[in-house]
Amino acid sequence: MLRFLFGRLWQSLILLVIVSVIGFAVLNLAPGGPLSQFALTPGMTQAQLARIAHQMGLDRPLPVQYWEWFTRLLQGDWGRSYRDNQPVLAVIGSHLWATLLLMGTSTLISVLIGTWVGVLGAIRRYSVFDYAATVGAMVALSIPTFWFGLIAIYLFSLRLGWLPAGNMYTIGDGSMLDYAVHLIMPSLVLALVNVAVWSRYMRTAVLDVMNQDFVRTARAKGLTRFAVLMRHILRNALVPMITLLGLQLPTILGGALVTETVFTWPGMGRLFLDSLGYSDYPVVMGLLMLSAILVLIGNLMADIAVAIIDPRIRLG
Amino acid sequence: MADDHISSWFRPSRRRVLTLMGASAAGLVAPGLLGRGSALAAPPSEPTGQVIVGFSQEPTVFNPHMPHIEVDEGIHFSVFDPLFIVDEKGEFQPALATEVPSAENGGISKDGLHWKIKLRDGVKWHDGEPFTAEDVKFTIELLVDPDFKSWRRDGHELVENIKVVSPTELTFDLKSPYAPYPSILAATFIVPKHAFADIDPNNAPFNNAPIGTGPFKWAERMAGDHITLDANKDYFGDGPYLERLIYKYIPDLTVLYTQFKTGDIDVVGLQWITPDKYEEAKDLPGKAVEVVPGATVESLSFNMGRPQFQDPKVRQALYYALDKQTIIDALYYGLPTPTETFMPQQSAYYNADLPKHEYDPEKAKSLLDEAGWTPGSDGIREKDGVKLAFTNSTTAGNHIREQAQQFIQQSFKDIGVDMSISNLPPAVMWGDYWMMSKFDSVVVGINFLTGSDPDVSNYLAPTSIPAKGGAGQNTWQYENDEVGKLLKEGGSTFAAEERKSVYVKLQEVVRNDLPFLPMFQYATVRGHKEGVEGVVPNINVRIDSWDVATWYWDK
Amino acid sequence: MTDMAFKVDPAPVQRWWQRRAVKRFLRHRLALFGLAIIVVLVLCCVFGPYLLPFDDLYIDLRARFSPPFSGPHIFGTDPLGRDLAARLFMAGRISLLVGFAAMLISTVFGSLIGIVAGYYGGKIGAVLMRFVDAMLSFPSIFLLLALAAFIKPSPMMITLIIAATSWMEITRIVEAEIKSLRDRDFIMAARTLGLSNSQIMFRELLPNAVGPIIVAATLTVARAILLEAYVSFLGYGIQPPLPSWGNMLNGAQQYLASAPWLAIVPGVAITLAVTGFNFVGDGLRDALDARSDIS
Repeated sequence: MLRFLFGRLWQSLILLVIVSVIGFAVLNLAPGGPLSQFALTPGMTQAQLARIAHQMGLDRPLPVQYWEWFTRLLQGDWGRSYRDNQPVLAVIGSHLWATLLLMGTSTLISVLIGTWVGVLGAIRRYSVFDYAATVGAMVALSIPTFWFGLIAIYLFSLRLGWLPAGNMYTIGDGSMLDYAVHLIMPSLVLALVNVAVWSRYMRTAVLDVMNQDFVRTARAKGLTRFAVLMRHILRNALVPMITLLGLQLPTILGGALVTETVFTWPGMGRLFLDSLGYSDYPVVMGLLMLSAILVLIGNLMADIAVAIIDPRIRLG
Repeated sequence: MADDHISSWFRPSRRRVLTLMGASAAGLVAPGLLGRGSALAAPPSEPTGQVIVGFSQEPTVFNPHMPHIEVDEGIHFSVFDPLFIVDEKGEFQPALATEVPSAENGGISKDGLHWKIKLRDGVKWHDGEPFTAEDVKFTIELLVDPDFKSWRRDGHELVENIKVVSPTELTFDLKSPYAPYPSILAATFIVPKHAFADIDPNNAPFNNAPIGTGPFKWAERMAGDHITLDANKDYFGDGPYLERLIYKYIPDLTVLYTQFKTGDIDVVGLQWITPDKYEEAKDLPGKAVEVVPGATVESLSFNMGRPQFQDPKVRQALYYALDKQTIIDALYYGLPTPTETFMPQQSAYYNADLPKHEYDPEKAKSLLDEAGWTPGSDGIREKDGVKLAFTNSTTAGNHIREQAQQFIQQSFKDIGVDMSISNLPPAVMWGDYWMMSKFDSVVVGINFLTGSDPDVSNYLAPTSIPAKGGAGQNTWQYENDEVGKLLKEGGSTFAAEERKSVYVKLQEVVRNDLPFLPMFQYATVRGHKEGVEGVVPNINVRIDSWDVATWYWDK
Repeated sequence: MTDMAFKVDPAPVQRWWQRRAVKRFLRHRLALFGLAIIVVLVLCCVFGPYLLPFDDLYIDLRARFSPPFSGPHIFGTDPLGRDLAARLFMAGRISLLVGFAAMLISTVFGSLIGIVAGYYGGKIGAVLMRFVDAMLSFPSIFLLLALAAFIKPSPMMITLIIAATSWMEITRIVEAEIKSLRDRDFIMAARTLGLSNSQIMFRELLPNAVGPIIVAATLTVARAILLEAYVSFLGYGIQPPLPSWGNMLNGAQQYLASAPWLAIVPGVAITLAVTGFNFVGDGLRDALDARSDIS
């Protein structure tokens, strides 16, 4: 077990290095740069831009810049944002919880709905409900998230005026209710895709478990369908789902980026787009690395979770 | 606001300096937009209430001397003070200084080299420390500190022998007379020396929790969302009349407007209301919405280094083919004013007698025919193997401009000119692509002036071409010796009337040469809730909140 | 052994599932429905522009913001008065083409890497697959935007970028498939016969992985269309005046209150196209994957 863990950890670290080289190269090899935004400022001259570029070290060869960034990273220094000169981790940290709130709420919703849609689909296999859920899930997977968001805004904000069109809270309010009202649309829109994925996997997982001997045994023991479902099927079917949650992380994160844009949600997605727009490389690199780390951790946790609570191990 | 931009070849004579410094700044005067007849209630005696200003960009740079964008100046104006400011009438008004130095009041020596600045007594920094002449000295020295990522150095580099005479007085010398220096000082916010003691100024805590002398104190920043400022009750000037000021970042202009409409924000700040919403906005109950002219001029600019644009007839023909009025009326909802020049119409140096542009595609065609540009087999005109085909670029994502661009593309196609659109992300567009003249043509909005001075050497002098080693921003590669001569003359002419005639002539030459096709001068739709008083537009600054000290609720 | 080996021909295996697969696919109602959507969309995009009396690029400012079904413009017009239907069809050409091209590139590239990694295994395989893992650990939209923010956004470049972020899934699938086949009898036989590595990889192994590749490729088209829409919506994709379904949505948010059709029409087209490909992909998976009989 430990050897397996260390092996995976080691691989993950190498992966991170590769990820950082790719990211750094992509960002820095491109034309333009962080000083472009100052070009049209009244009175700006090429000479002043050149001086600032030199002071920021942007005129050094790329490998040198990368090496400096990398060695600092090893010492725990993620660099500072070009925009507000704050440490990158602090910048990301200040946007993190907005994203977590959105992702968390949305994941909760999708797990709750997705689980039951999946379970019902499995136990009523080939019913109208199952069929509708299948088709619905595939359509949901095909709708561009941002567009769905736009349509939701059009209907519920512009047309009906029920919900706010964006933002996380009303300034000066900030009560729980206020947050909740602002959360409804973005979290549901983000949940749409995840419900679809989750319900599909759940259905398969439940079907797998249902065909196993212990379920039949349980039924034979005279337990009610409901009891079997709750005690045996659901419990065992949820195990692979933990893996899925880990693997779904990049998708949810990517979805959050787009959703945050549409709903002007002040999270990491917005930060990423803003940082890209201003060529704030340290922050963009930080976000890329962080998301890569999250994804790798997600994968690792999934592996461990399966290794620890595999039903066969427990049953055997 | 006033900025430094005079390239090094240009050093005005002493006499010019004296004249300019003696007079009040010949700034840009915005027409009386605030003529709402009702008698206004007096501001409250104590700071009351809060105002939420919405910005579509996020302020992130709070040290006013580090590289920043215009939205950051909204915070700077609220938290800091310069020695003096340029008001909406284009005149200097004392702030931290007790008076604006001039030859008359003895603040500047007759030769323009020796300066004496008297400061207000009893001013306190937000942390309670007294403000003194040491802080002014420190600020000027910080700006030229080679280890500091200084925003601007021009002008300050000439300062030497800064002597603190007393806590309320300092003197310094200039290495050579420099006329724009008062304008530069008017944009130089004074920062506290004690906040930078023994630390790397680039990473000082101050940079993220600024301490100023201004009407509002730094309270809290929620990154990516908003910044809260509290009233500085010890403020030396008028105001503040608000207890709290909140700058809210709303990244989308549609949402910005929606929140204004619903009353979530009190004042629509930077990037304002999009023109297409004006009709609706002006009739909103309880909202004061007005069109405010800006100093920025939109143009279709050529890279004169390209063979297609060498022939002046080509540029003239393209101007005839440009349906300016339709663009303004249909796409910009009639809000901006058509213009023929780079000089804002509010400037004292504006030339009102330039030939008026006409939209006449037939004339455009005949001009091109005359000049020997004849349609090839594909319908695109060519001459001596050069096709009248070029790309046009602008920032991707500027929707209305992109629409205008596509409209122009069609107009040009009608006269046998092939303009293909190649828009770029901002970081790429305004990098070397623009600075080093790698484009064919662009649509761009530029504020040619820097505050109140009519000098445009940075943009138009033949020596300011970065692609040819120049230091300025003449990215058109526009080389006209007469323009160079006029710009020099403008800098060394003293009497205001004479000086005006030079710039009038300059505008004529540029109008004739057409290195860029002037389209219109910007107009922005601004709005605030009725009841927020004191929101005065000032064309000399880049941001709404320049006078936030005197905003108050009338209710 | 050698005599026997000559008769071990992978082809019959293939033919066997081919016939069954077609039948199964045709029984798959959703897949057929998806196919129908795609065919109709493609036909519209190919012939539509010739049938409409409007040019997708023709600007008519007097007719701007005409709502759908109100005049000669069935889907209404955009802020420049261009016919939305004409633009939708021309945009469809671009978007579908980008989708297909990105699928082709990423399928070819992904399969190639997958075959090499799966066949050789060992160090080569490990290095290649770690690279795949690295690419997969970026959320693709992050990587896509980081790439797109700094290039000249032509359809060609957008296609390449989408392909660059889409090939990894196929590599994983192909690698797994090849790995499982590599030690089977017919490959042993081929090796003993002295077939070169490339012959074994492309003649013997590849045809056996065609099923999963086709499924993955179909789903990649759907994904590529979606990605193009995402990137163009955020302003980093294909640039106007060239229409794409994504960039038609780009400016639509601004006019959501006054001209909602600008958002609705292209969005429906994207959803239809992506749904179509997803249905077909699902059908293909059921049809090509013998295991689908079990559950």
